[in-house]
Amino acid sequence: MKTSSYNLVMSAMFNGRKGERPPVGNPTSIVCHGLMDAAGVSFPEAHLDANAMADLALAGHEILGFDTVMPEYSVQQEGAALGCVVDWGNRDRMPDNKNFPYEDFSDVVVPDHLLEKPSMKVVLEALSILRRQVGGKVAIVGKVMGPWTLSYHMAGTQNFLLQIGMGETEKVTKMLRQLMPVTIAFAQAQFQAGADIVVMADHVTGNLVGPYHYKELLLPIHQQITEQVKGPLILHVCGDCSDRLEYFAQSGVDAYHMEWQVDAKMAVEKIGQRVSLVGNVNNPQVLYQGTSEDVHQQVRYAIAAGVNIIGPECAIPLATPMENLRAIVEAASEGY
Amino acid sequence: MEKIFEEIKNTVIAGKHKEIEALVQKAIQEKANLDDLINRALIAAMDVVGDRFAKSEIFVPEMLVSAVTMKKGLDIIKPLLKEDEEKTKGKVILCTVKGDLHDIGKNLVAMMLEGAGLEVMDLGVDVTVERVVDKVHEIQPQVLGLSALLTTTMPEMENVINLLRDRGIREKVKVMIGGAPVDAEFAEKIGADAYGEDAAEAVMIARSFIDLQ
Repeated sequence: MKTSSYNLVMSAMFNGRKGERPPVGNPTSIVCHGLMDAAGVSFPEAHLDANAMADLALAGHEILGFDTVMPEYSVQQEGAALGCVVDWGNRDRMPDNKNFPYEDFSDVVVPDHLLEKPSMKVVLEALSILRRQVGGKVAIVGKVMGPWTLSYHMAGTQNFLLQIGMGETEKVTKMLRQLMPVTIAFAQAQFQAGADIVVMADHVTGNLVGPYHYKELLLPIHQQITEQVKGPLILHVCGDCSDRLEYFAQSGVDAYHMEWQVDAKMAVEKIGQRVSLVGNVNNPQVLYQGTSEDVHQQVRYAIAAGVNIIGPECAIPLATPMENLRAIVEAASEGY
Repeated sequence: MEKIFEEIKNTVIAGKHKEIEALVQKAIQEKANLDDLINRALIAAMDVVGDRFAKSEIFVPEMLVSAVTMKKGLDIIKPLLKEDEEKTKGKVILCTVKGDLHDIGKNLVAMMLEGAGLEVMDLGVDVTVERVVDKVHEIQPQVLGLSALLTTTMPEMENVINLLRDRGIREKVKVMIGGAPVDAEFAEKIGADAYGEDAAEAVMIARSFIDLQ
């Protein structure tokens, strides 16, 4: 196998042939102040302008040495298209939505021409730009929010979780099913636009909801999504999800992007034969506040455990030092 | 009376929010001691809920519906409390720090502390350092709880503690912190008095600080 970023990542997605070293990838944002300065591109323009979006993603590969380029930094692209008022933030603050258009759980109206909405179109254009620039050389990673995360944005997280606690299964399931087509349409469009892989971020976060919530309410929907979206998919779920790995393995995704709280060895043993594992360097204590030696230690642990694609556990803090991101790449360059 | 206390307690634990009001009314009609009703039925229920949450037997949806159920029951009792019974056991100020909009954990802590008979001032989310410290100066709570879910907003917690110190009121309030990116080590580093791993632990910490006063 030729040792290219693209080959290393795509092979690792399916637990395939290994190269000289494990690939380093980012299903979630690796943008920090240092990367913005080095690329000459900042927030919020990188959320809203396709060229800025693509340039900043490319910087992750050209400046830091990651084997992936991933141009979607916020979690608000779909929310904005569905009626959320989004504050796109600034250099120090990620975007956030200021309202919940369906907090009354009325029927979600998915607009016609959803993919033409500016916040959706910009991602598709950025992916096409990246395809022209690095297609076949570096793995291009798109990102969509799953129906659970979209429900948080539509109804408000606390409100949504309270309805679940109140046993309003019909109400909750209706919203999830009405949002499922958004996830599917955006993922399919991203593959068409040039993505090699799409991350589905769906926040059935460990410690927030239980494994039984995932199994009952979301697993059947994920299975339908993976039935319809044919390209390679990574599932991203935050928190300690050790108790629900088996269900993730049944969802039909090709890989799971995990946080540090999930022990890599245990995860690989439990589900590594069925889904590839991605991650899982700790953000707050190690990447943000730790040393490059701390990073090295965690990367080597993950590699020894059998994690397929190495990277941060989640979107990194904006003040993460560049040297700690470089430390991930350096530690992986030592090989297996 | 024990039987109805147990029934109310189980109703809160089970989150049966549609049944609680009738049960509490019944207890009141049967001349239940209101203090006992709060402590032995409502607060006792939330202690069980908090314990189950800490053991990951239940999660935030169940905590929320139990807290809502408890609050519904409490809202019926509160207007009946005599003035001297109304005197709260202590005051707590809670907020999510500047730049951060996450609040579920904080909201759970607020509901449970109110149920425990504490006076809670919830300043909301995205609260500036100056506003927090001004309120601490004005209200003189025993406990200040700071919440953050983003690593970018963690430093605001230290800013609050530093401003409390600059204003000469740091020693007058116990500061507890919580949220996904923080931990006990961070709490020690910034000079906080305690770190709560989850809402249930935060409630225990706040109550222990007030009991020690």
